[in-house]
Amino acid sequence: MKYMILTYASQQDYDGMAGKDSGKPAWQPEDFAAMGAFMEKFNNDLIESGELVETRALAAPVLTRRFGSKNGQSVVTDGPYAETQEVLAGYWIVECESFDRATEIAAGLADTPAPEAVRATAYADIRPLVEGRDELVG
Amino acid sequence: MTSALEDQLRELAPRVLGALVRRYGHFDTAEDAVQEALLAAAQQWPTDGVPESPRGWLITVASRRLTDLLRREQSRQRREERVARWALQGEPVADTDDTLVLLFMCCHPALSPASQIALTLRAVGGLTTTEIARAFLVPEATMTRRITRAKTAVREDGSRFTLPADREERLGAVLHVVYLIFNEGYTTTTGPSLQRVELAAEAIRLARLLHRLLPDDPEVSGLLALLLLTDARRPARTGPHGELVPMAEQDRARWIPELIKEGVDLITATLPHGPIGPYQLQAAIAAVHDESPSAEETDWPQIVALYEVLLQLTDNPMIALNHVVAVAMSRGPAEGLALLDSLENDDRIAKDHRVPAVRAHLLEMSGDRAAARTAYEQAASRTTSLPQQRYLHTRASRL
Repeated sequence: MKYMILTYASQQDYDGMAGKDSGKPAWQPEDFAAMGAFMEKFNNDLIESGELVETRALAAPVLTRRFGSKNGQSVVTDGPYAETQEVLAGYWIVECESFDRATEIAAGLADTPAPEAVRATAYADIRPLVEGRDELVG
Repeated sequence: MTSALEDQLRELAPRVLGALVRRYGHFDTAEDAVQEALLAAAQQWPTDGVPESPRGWLITVASRRLTDLLRREQSRQRREERVARWALQGEPVADTDDTLVLLFMCCHPALSPASQIALTLRAVGGLTTTEIARAFLVPEATMTRRITRAKTAVREDGSRFTLPADREERLGAVLHVVYLIFNEGYTTTTGPSLQRVELAAEAIRLARLLHRLLPDDPEVSGLLALLLLTDARRPARTGPHGELVPMAEQDRARWIPELIKEGVDLITATLPHGPIGPYQLQAAIAAVHDESPSAEETDWPQIVALYEVLLQLTDNPMIALNHVVAVAMSRGPAEGLALLDSLENDDRIAKDHRVPAVRAHLLEMSGDRAAARTAYEQAASRTTSLPQQRYLHTRASRL
């Protein structure tokens, strides 16, 4: 079974990571390096165990474009998210033994080094992926 | 519902539940969802036909139901608590059969044996709450409460879909639960009929399942052999009016030879590989009985020897009582009666009807008819099973 692990952050978090003071504490360069090293090991462990299908980080929310409809017309807008709104920041797709194992993998993210204020509220979602239309209605 | 369909659903139940819990978690809710899917199958398949992939059908219906139930049930608060529990644990998930994991979950050490049995019968046996309540002669509402409490206890303990770390210890509980289910089916503790065949059959099915999953465990093999060898005597255990027929008076031609052969082969193959455990020893004793052409020709000294090994392994007063009987058969009633005196002081069994029943038999063997009669009547007054009462009164009135 495949599962998607999703992590979230706000534009403020992205700004903080980039070293800007934005109402949440700015990261120091060594904080960022520690996180990078942690993620590298985290991902390598998953490759090693054969459970990683794919992982990506998403660029800052401010860089987002939204495509939608308004009064029947297609519309493209920039930056739909409020500064403080948490949106998808990255994801992992893992293929593993069970929901419990996927949760265990995601729980490993709790050890990500980051400034205390960021760690205190961090969370991730684990969602089963469906393999076909049947499962979607199932 | 035909029995073929019933068998098929029972076989599928733990696999469907396993698939659901493995994919989505939520043991307690998934279990309800599977029960509802099984009921839907029992209603729809006889008219619409069995779907091409019965397991896939059940998983789809159960998943749909699980979604409904979860949406209804979950408060945000509870979800957060659950997440908090997760991050703290970290043993790896073993590659293993879902059914086995389910069995271990149901035999959770936080549950009483009664709850372990109820949960096992529901989650792994696929029996409905109504059926389990009927089998244990308790009101359905009581059984519903017991099962609900059991599921909550498993959930609150943060049980996960993986074989537990205390696997060896918990296997003991699993075997014990199967053994208790069989005993309840074989000699019901209360009520009008002596046997509830469906429970005994379910226990044998579970033991076979366990044996298939853990073929190298000698106690698992021992338990399966014990159940087969005991069940082999079932047709001869009751007379035409449902009365109990003791082993010495049973028509051995009515014992089931296929079960005896299977049980004997199994225990013969298992014993040399050890380590020896109580189920293997009890199976070996049952095999000696089953292979004996008559009660008189039974190899009693061998049975005494096996009981003595068994008594070193387990401090069980019922086994001590059986040992007394074997000693009396092997060395005469006087030695049996002397041994029985020591059991009279064992609080765990002193008030049980079996002690005066054995005393009555031994007194009768030694020719003390008056004392035997008193003991039979005392035994009858202590049992709640009607067939056993009838049997004991009949013995008393013969003297």
